[in-house]
Amino acid sequence: MRLAVFVSEYREPEMLERLKAEKLGIVLVQNGVYHAALKKDGNVSPVLSKDVEYYALSEDLQSRGFSDSDVVDSKVKVINYDGLVDLIFNDYEKTIWL
Amino acid sequence: MAIKKIAFIVEKLPYKSETSRLALTHAIASQTVEIHLEDGDNVEPVLAFVGDGVLNCLKNQKALEVYGVSSLEAHVKNALLLDLRVLVCKEDLEGFGLTEDSIVMDAEEIGGEVTTQVVPYEEIQQDLESADHLMFF
Repeated sequence: MRLAVFVSEYREPEMLERLKAEKLGIVLVQNGVYHAALKKDGNVSPVLSKDVEYYALSEDLQSRGFSDSDVVDSKVKVINYDGLVDLIFNDYEKTIWL
Repeated sequence: MAIKKIAFIVEKLPYKSETSRLALTHAIASQTVEIHLEDGDNVEPVLAFVGDGVLNCLKNQKALEVYGVSSLEAHVKNALLLDLRVLVCKEDLEGFGLTEDSIVMDAEEIGGEVTTQVVPYEEIQQDLESADHLMFF
């Protein structure tokens, strides 16, 4: 299963630890983009600690006062809405929201 | 004539919910409209950002372009324009690795004269204690 997981809150969803997939992508949207743009007390968000694909939505970053280059971890790829649509249709079979 | 001090404390993030916008709207409204709690009473609002709430004050928010809604940055500037006391918790700002440069400190471009005050939480606590009413958002 190729699974894209949308994270839209700035807290670590409990379910994230349990999910298994042959290919897992975490898409940071809405308030989830704070995981990508901020360190808390100098530490990167635990949400970014997995060995999976990471994406953050550019529009949601910019709405909140960040630029695409503010992303704190290089493994997070910044995409726009068009890129997100491509991702869902081409790279993943299923999507879920946490 | 008695003054009622109301503290609006924002601890939520912007945009995912309307919560922090409501706080700003109420605080601004209580400053601009003559609200009488009882006959002769007036209101003195203070607006404080703590915890995740400090992120409402980040500069360069593009919510108008992306979502078509006014940004929280614009609301903070409006609050400053109306001489509202705006406090931002120093410890929480530093916790996110942010400085005064990253947040809205003044609204000079629209004619605001007061500036945001970045203060230790202790000072915000004093405001909470001296307020007649506390509103948490």
